[in-house]
Amino acid sequence: MPLVRTCIAAAIALTLAGCYVVRPSSGGGQVPPPAARMVQPADVALPAGYRIEAVATGLTFPTGVAFDASGRPYVVESGYSYGEVFTTPRLLRVEADGRTSVVATGARNGPWTGVVFRDGNFYVAEGGETEGGRILRISPDGHITSLVSGLPSIGDHHTNGPAIGADGMLYFGQGTATNSGVVGNDNAQFGWLKRHPDFHDIPCRDVALTGRNFEAPHWNGSGTIVSTGAYLPYGTPSTAGQVIPGKVPCSGAVMRVPLTGGTPELVAWGFRNPFGLAVAPDGQLYVAENSYDDRGSRPVWGSADVLWRVKPGAWYGWPDYAEGFPLTRPDFKPPGKAPVQALLQTPPETPPRPVARFPVHSSADGFDFSRNPVFGNVGEAFVAEFGDQAPTTGKVLGPVGFKVVRVNVDNGVVEDFAVNRSPNNGPASKLGTGGLERPVAVRFDPEGRALYVVDFGVLSQLPDAKPEQGTGVLWRIVRQGAS
Amino acid sequence: MKRLAWLLTAAAVLAAACATPRHSEPRTGPFRPANAAEERGEIVFSNYCSKCHDSGHSGLAPGILPVPDALIRFQVRHGLGVMPAFGEDRLSPAQLDDLLAYLNAIRAHPPTVS
Repeated sequence: MPLVRTCIAAAIALTLAGCYVVRPSSGGGQVPPPAARMVQPADVALPAGYRIEAVATGLTFPTGVAFDASGRPYVVESGYSYGEVFTTPRLLRVEADGRTSVVATGARNGPWTGVVFRDGNFYVAEGGETEGGRILRISPDGHITSLVSGLPSIGDHHTNGPAIGADGMLYFGQGTATNSGVVGNDNAQFGWLKRHPDFHDIPCRDVALTGRNFEAPHWNGSGTIVSTGAYLPYGTPSTAGQVIPGKVPCSGAVMRVPLTGGTPELVAWGFRNPFGLAVAPDGQLYVAENSYDDRGSRPVWGSADVLWRVKPGAWYGWPDYAEGFPLTRPDFKPPGKAPVQALLQTPPETPPRPVARFPVHSSADGFDFSRNPVFGNVGEAFVAEFGDQAPTTGKVLGPVGFKVVRVNVDNGVVEDFAVNRSPNNGPASKLGTGGLERPVAVRFDPEGRALYVVDFGVLSQLPDAKPEQGTGVLWRIVRQGAS
Repeated sequence: MKRLAWLLTAAAVLAAACATPRHSEPRTGPFRPANAAEERGEIVFSNYCSKCHDSGHSGLAPGILPVPDALIRFQVRHGLGVMPAFGEDRLSPAQLDDLLAYLNAIRAHPPTVS
């Protein structure tokens, strides 16, 4: 029998060892886009007792939903998508019959990544792909006022949120310029490095570097080898002990301002892409973070997206930790590539442990907390998972994300809530159904009786990002008999 | 003996291919842990396993195979392929027992929804 066991273990070891390396990537977006998007609520599976309907269709890159004082829903259309597609950012009112009316239009400085409503005005996070991030106030008649500008948002990740804190302040996230601290050829592939060749990440506090540099042939094809260090422009090497001065606003942070605007104040830092922000019923601020990709000069493998409980002043680990663990752990070494090495001589502090982990590359984005027993699961966070962007962000063996999950923030257990009705996971376009495509945000209506799901629409990765305009959907989920 | 080992391996792989490891409340109905071990195991799964085996199905890694407990223990402890090893410093023997209790309960959880 020991021989049998050994043989079985060896055979399975060989099988599994070959699996990841041999099998091709099979991400949710790795299929040609459908000729037209089907929208069929019956193709979405929910726990017993819930039903879903499409409230508005034909949206272009929607990213957020909010409600005015009378409870009417509004959505923001991003105005920019990965794939370097620029459209017009818009705030739309969703009428009772599902038609939309334009409230405000923005400049060519998307993506608008989210919206909240408070005291008669809308507040929008403008991603700022061309001119830098801004926080906008939009009046109900469409007048736009910039409350904050010049945020370092012209890289991979943008200005995100916003959320109104228990203190009445406006909180927003600022994503990093790069995947893991080093500007590389992946940033040219994303597009922004060609527009802003000197852009790089900015720490919130002074950091001292290990002096590790990363070499690559110049993206322009000249054959020149460039060497780039952390927090420095493309082609600028670092030295051991070099101190990068911190300043605010900075990359990879949560900041806040009064609703009237002003100079951003640092709340917490060391995030990679703090996309989702929400306040729990007890007033605690949480952040959903998109973690590292297996790409660029300093690829990182197998780091989960996470939900953080935000502690004022804390450092959350980027660019040297993931999930509260150092990237030097063998777990994070990409198969067939070099181990990840530290960029900082000394971490600012030991980062906290996350509240919950989401699947690698799931892109855990906008979320909200249930507050009403009529809907159920009070106190749990409902999180939109946009879905993988394989193979650009890294290889996966099956689609990841493309659904809405709920999280018990006390023990970290994550359960599916809204998924496509199929034996396999994936976006509707891959499954050939009319269900969910790429959920990017969720929000409960003011009474907490209905959960609205913002579905970005079709985004293929073949392998470059190819978003389809007019395929976004706003869904609504209610408990049977509660609407 | 060697032939038997290969036959068993092939059977395990075939079973994996035919099985539906995906657990998802909307599709299979709610899972209610029957005891404290399963309850703790669910937390272990969320914290350690789900990031690569989302709900048990493939994602970054392959879906979890419905193989005997001993093989799962072996793979968890030693790490195979690209999967890291989870030594006792990261996952205690009690946690591994709880994880297996949960995985077996999920496997036995009959689908109630299409």
